[in-house]
Amino acid sequence: MTIADAAGRRWMGVGSSPHGDTRTAAVEAARSAVVGTDAKLLMVFCAITHDPAAALEGVREVAAGAPVVGCTTHGEIGKGGPNDGTILVAALGGPGITVSVAVAEHVAGRQREAGAEVAQCAEAVADLPYRVLVLLTDGFLRDQESILRGTYGVLGATVPLFGGASADGWRMTGSFLFGDDRVLTDAVVAVTIASEAPLSIGVRHGYHTVGEAMIVTSSSGGRIHSLDDRPALDAYLDRLGAPGEAYTDLEAFRDFALAHPLGVKRRSGVEARNLSTEIDLEGRTLGGGSAIDHGALTWPMTGGEDTILDATDAACRDAIAGLGGRSPIGLLTFSCAAIRATLGDDGIRREGQRLETWADGVPFAGFYTYGEIARTRGIDGFHNQTLAVLAVA
Amino acid sequence: MSQSAATSLQVQQLLELLAVVMSFSDEQTAVHGAAERAAQALEAEVSAVMYGDQVAAAVGFPAGAVPAAELLAVADGKRDWLDVPGLERCHAFAASWNGSHPGHLIIARAGDDTFSPEERSLVRGMARVLELTLTMLRTLRAEQEMRERSELQAVENAMLAESLREQQRLLLHVSDIQRGISRRDPLQQILEAVTTAAQDLLGDEIIGLWVRDPETPERARLLASVGLPTTHLPAMPLTETGAVGEAMRGNDVVVAAGYEYVGPAIRELTGGRLCVSMAAPVHESGAIVGGLLVASYDPERFYSPHDKQTLRAFAQNVSLALTDAHTLDRVNRAVHDNLTGLANRGLFLQRLTEQIREGLPAALLFIDLDRFKPINDALGHAAGDQILVITAARIQSQLRSADLAGRFGGDEFAVMLRDVAELGTGITIARRLVHEIGRPVDLAGRTVSVDASIGIALSVDASNAADLMQHADIAMYRAKRNGRGRYEVFTKDLMQAYTNDS
Repeated sequence: MTIADAAGRRWMGVGSSPHGDTRTAAVEAARSAVVGTDAKLLMVFCAITHDPAAALEGVREVAAGAPVVGCTTHGEIGKGGPNDGTILVAALGGPGITVSVAVAEHVAGRQREAGAEVAQCAEAVADLPYRVLVLLTDGFLRDQESILRGTYGVLGATVPLFGGASADGWRMTGSFLFGDDRVLTDAVVAVTIASEAPLSIGVRHGYHTVGEAMIVTSSSGGRIHSLDDRPALDAYLDRLGAPGEAYTDLEAFRDFALAHPLGVKRRSGVEARNLSTEIDLEGRTLGGGSAIDHGALTWPMTGGEDTILDATDAACRDAIAGLGGRSPIGLLTFSCAAIRATLGDDGIRREGQRLETWADGVPFAGFYTYGEIARTRGIDGFHNQTLAVLAVA
Repeated sequence: MSQSAATSLQVQQLLELLAVVMSFSDEQTAVHGAAERAAQALEAEVSAVMYGDQVAAAVGFPAGAVPAAELLAVADGKRDWLDVPGLERCHAFAASWNGSHPGHLIIARAGDDTFSPEERSLVRGMARVLELTLTMLRTLRAEQEMRERSELQAVENAMLAESLREQQRLLLHVSDIQRGISRRDPLQQILEAVTTAAQDLLGDEIIGLWVRDPETPERARLLASVGLPTTHLPAMPLTETGAVGEAMRGNDVVVAAGYEYVGPAIRELTGGRLCVSMAAPVHESGAIVGGLLVASYDPERFYSPHDKQTLRAFAQNVSLALTDAHTLDRVNRAVHDNLTGLANRGLFLQRLTEQIREGLPAALLFIDLDRFKPINDALGHAAGDQILVITAARIQSQLRSADLAGRFGGDEFAVMLRDVAELGTGITIARRLVHEIGRPVDLAGRTVSVDASIGIALSVDASNAADLMQHADIAMYRAKRNGRGRYEVFTKDLMQAYTNDS
């Protein structure tokens, strides 16, 4: 489906294909997405089950020279509910939109530098009043926050940041990005979208704290060693009354942690950190993406479908409200893979329905990520367990 | 936010800031980290640290577009807002510190909320933490620099002391060698002193002095060494002697890796373990005649300019010793009889004159071989020469080291027995000589024998060397006349008879 603004200056289209043949699926999805003329950007969200090179080739065939960016997923989010095994393409076009793409490779170990490199693309777009930098990062990179810091160091507060970390359907063997007409790993792909009309971001999580705050009493190397002077992993599990096997079994801990992020106190609320990817049963420490420093106030968190779907609503509401009264021509919706784990198959269908309700007839596209990017205030913008929404007017 | 929650959040954030800033070891990174952490704690888009009117770190502005003057205006309390690109006008707040490095922490945030009293207090607390941390970092850095400087100085001193010690050792070795040269120690002994000293100073496993073989100049022979056998090693082509050949070719110090330029014989001798070698040319009277080599089995061995200088110094000493030894050789050859090595007539007379002039007694034995000429004519000059050489050796074998034997040409020999004033000693020696010289000689399968006629004279009976020579000569003729193969003692009667005869 494709929706354009009333004057026909900007349009967004989304197409999806469940076809088993990658190239066919890619061509079908791209053709459905590119309905308007003057396509400026094609974003591909591709199931890990597909051959990424063939997917890129198929989309490029339709793109007719427009840049193609994208990544592999842990599920593709679009109209009709989230899907697995599909190829989903979002296209943006029209004279009211310009884009510029940059790619940084060999990012591991130089995250901040890579973030600064791709920020340069923000200057290559036409001088239009609204801009957003969409970042797609390799979900297997550590310290993603530093990529954003690098970007922020170059752009400052001038450009909001949005995006997500690529996923691999929970296989944990590696994900792929599309950029610079290539399939990439250990990379960051950045797209600056400049528009005549507003671009607005919403981001929310649906978890609440359990009990009193626990203080990080020892941390180093990005890991929390102790909470309230107790081994961090045990303090966390005890507080939540976790099942016995979560203390000793890796899978059991992962399943439990997916639904129970660790909250870190911030001025405007409590930020949720996913503890399920860097498990250390032997050392009894906790890892939550970027570093949580000594002295930080933390809480174990929990959430259910209700609170998570409330957050879905809030993120969409915030994003659309940010358009200053204009109607969106489309939404990008990046939801956390951990939310999918918490909600289950039925839950994510209901999440999809909420998104569809908020889209209210305009196209939307996104994927289940290994991390969401949304800098709307302050300098931080890498999130766990959230839904990040970009509303395009 | 309740008061206690706000307070605990402040404490948390100050602790976090402290943790962040303390984790950096250099000031620039620490200041940048602090600015980021302050912005994060206050959820502010902008944070800056200024020293005086200079921006030390800033986040939130596009790169290269940090408005220093506006930040300073906030720091100086002249305004409480900042225009930040991409944002609406931001609330701004600054906390300053004085001391030796005064500075400001400036925060700006978009949105409607102004900074609460707690937040202002937090910014002040952060500024204080930053100031303390920076002071500590600077103190640590100053201490570290001092420590590094003193460590560096200590290392330099140690190197200097070591270098001086080595120079001193080099000087000691060189002066020993030069004393040896001036004392006319045997050449081999001097050369061995050089190789031993070179090993002591350079510490390598192998030291070798190679010189051109006199008969095959394109080959070199190992004269002295440490770590290589000298006796069983044949002369080798120069091209197979490694760095030595190259040093001789280029007339300069050469360093060679592994078995560069080395032939199979040396490879075998060193068991394939040679890692690096260095050689300096040695000269004799200005001509390149060989090379002094050092070589190591240590893969880490590296020859410094200092090592090269040391080797060059030893090579020069070898050159000096060789030149000196060969000059001496030439001088000796000028005053000695070429065939037998005994003193020639000139040297003999000189020594005899010196002995008499000093008032010291001596017995002179004048020796003439009997039947030498017919043997020389019959068997050839080579055989004759051989008889002369054997005779010279036989004469030498009967003398003390202080005595002097000379050959006066042809088949005439003379012996000076130093400090002998009695005829008895002269007679004893003469008797032995007659017997010894007369023993048969095996010449190419033929046995021949020559006798000696010896005249004995004492210096006490002569006024000078010439007189003494004449006396002994007269006595020798008497011995010949009396039947050869015998000795006669000079007497006044003989002198009378001689005068009468002539």
